[in-house]
Amino acid sequence: MTIHLALFAYLSQYQPDGKGGCQARPIDIADGATVGALIAPLGLPDGPRVVFVNGRHAAADQPLSDGDRLAIFPQIAGG
Amino acid sequence: MKNLLRVNMADLSVTAEPVPDAWAKYGGRALTDAIVYHEVSADTDPLGPGNKLVFAPGTLGGTSAPNGGRLSVGAKSPLTGGIKESNSGGQAAHALARVGLSAVVVEGVPTDKNARYLLVIEADRSARLQRVDDWAGLGNYEVVDKIAALRPEGDKYATLSIGPAGEALAKASGIAISDPKGYPNRFAGRGGLGAVMGSKGLKGLVVSYAGTSSLEHADKEAFSAASKRFSKALKEHPVSGTALPMYGTNVLTNILSEAGGLPTRNFSSGTFESADAIGGETQRDTILARGGDVSHGCLSGCVIQCSRYWVDKDGTYVTKGPEYETAWSFGADCGIGDLDEIAALDRACGDFGLDTIEMGATMGVYMDSGALEFGDAAGALAALKAGLDANDPLRVLWDGAEATGKKFGVTRIPVTKHQALPAYDPRSVQGIGVTYATTPMGADHTAGYTITANILGVGGTVDPFKTEGQAALSKNLQIATGMLDSLGLCIFVAFPVLDIPEAFTAIHEMVAAHTGDKWGADELMQLGREVLTMERLYNQQAGFTAADDRLPAFFYEDKLPPHNVVFTVSDEDLDSVFDFVDETAAQMGLH
Repeated sequence: MTIHLALFAYLSQYQPDGKGGCQARPIDIADGATVGALIAPLGLPDGPRVVFVNGRHAAADQPLSDGDRLAIFPQIAGG
Repeated sequence: MKNLLRVNMADLSVTAEPVPDAWAKYGGRALTDAIVYHEVSADTDPLGPGNKLVFAPGTLGGTSAPNGGRLSVGAKSPLTGGIKESNSGGQAAHALARVGLSAVVVEGVPTDKNARYLLVIEADRSARLQRVDDWAGLGNYEVVDKIAALRPEGDKYATLSIGPAGEALAKASGIAISDPKGYPNRFAGRGGLGAVMGSKGLKGLVVSYAGTSSLEHADKEAFSAASKRFSKALKEHPVSGTALPMYGTNVLTNILSEAGGLPTRNFSSGTFESADAIGGETQRDTILARGGDVSHGCLSGCVIQCSRYWVDKDGTYVTKGPEYETAWSFGADCGIGDLDEIAALDRACGDFGLDTIEMGATMGVYMDSGALEFGDAAGALAALKAGLDANDPLRVLWDGAEATGKKFGVTRIPVTKHQALPAYDPRSVQGIGVTYATTPMGADHTAGYTITANILGVGGTVDPFKTEGQAALSKNLQIATGMLDSLGLCIFVAFPVLDIPEAFTAIHEMVAAHTGDKWGADELMQLGREVLTMERLYNQQAGFTAADDRLPAFFYEDKLPPHNVVFTVSDEDLDSVFDFVDETAAQMGLH
């Protein structure tokens, strides 16, 4: 299945194509893979993250479905 | 000795007096609230002689406490009709505190409506009103140049000023405060306080702090130790130590759009297709490519450094940030996806002295009327400038979103207590809806910033779509914010404080070591409750009821895409937020 992966702020440099930027890229992964399984090989730095699947907060054990959008942010805030 | 400076605009006298004992423990928002509560009748005309405009540094102002130099500006608001504390960065709070002033209270109105005055406060605390009638109508940037020309060589000073919007008594006008480089780009923006200053004929203030130093502490060693621990926590937390200095407040645009909570085209959608083009990542890359400055403090003693300057293609300064709220208000909410266009609108607001939150939301309402296309930045700038002519029909825009919506027949007007909602849609971030509805300030995200637990995973998590836990979350954050605003701490210290217990301990240790008084966790929270109690009671006396603690009907009725949700927190939950007010009022001897 194909997942659309978007990485934000200083995580964007960990896109597998190495090109940075916040736009989503298609990632092929085995059917039924979880959020955690997709994140693991990205080599993201340690630290708290905020993860969304299709605009809703998601935990690492959430299974993904074909066509899902997965967005990952480091912990950020402002106002 | 703590001192108040009373400035009487009717007889043009300036007198210093000691702070009354009853207010000795108050600074910042607590002190502006106390003065407004006790000295400004709730039925006073906000633009008449009975209103008072109060400038107060927090308890930690003038010290080396990290991020301790915020300024509170208080009055009865001409926009909301209730009590107002508008909070700003910039150098003014430290300057006032260092010359020994806990507050400046501007009272009365001048007999000559055409007169303009500059209040000059010297470093030895002597003060005088100087007549500057020929400054009438000047923008904030020209005012600071005029002030600079009056000051001696080598002087160090902070400025506070209003532009033509404040002089025109516009309800969306704010007060500009100079940053460490002297740019008038920090704002006590909300609630129309620029108009209160304008009604008093006061065009500006200059506060010299040349030759002064940080204030002495009751216990220097204890203060230094607590201050170091506090600074360490701010630097270690991923938000205040990494994300904010790197990307600034506008780091929020992409995450709020992702969560479906970025109000777009006058609150008709929660996602903006051009979010990344106006977000903090693009902002940083663009400023760096143009050779600009992407990280500095808006005031001395800031260890977070989330400010930045927007520069044009030639690398020349245009304006601050833009901050997230402005990138949202003139960006997503107006359908404008270009940071240069947003920066031009930010600069115009900064120079005219208008609140960018109120004005962006107002422009979104105006566009929703069909009079201007969403996305038309040139049209928005022209509409903004139209207000310079008092007789132009578009002058109503300077009075804010509600006045504009009523004039142009727009049914979707995003305000509570007559003040425009900021950059988070309460349908997909239910907690912030509780804050917008209930805060005595009128819709204000900073009053109880539930985005922390609702969206950002700071200070725990509370599901943003559910009703459970939102009232308690908002209540606790409103109390904590009342406390931070009174101490003069930047509310961004809340991010590490919510996650690192030692950071909270360091706050009461700093306050105790500085003042020599007993301060612990209980005293800090009681201070926050006292602030909110004065504000709630004042608003009740001004005629506010539970009906004013509600969101506009469309938030309960119109489903917000992409999650197709409405605001569902019950009236009962909203009415529970201030369940402590009666008890606290009794403890304070208020009725």
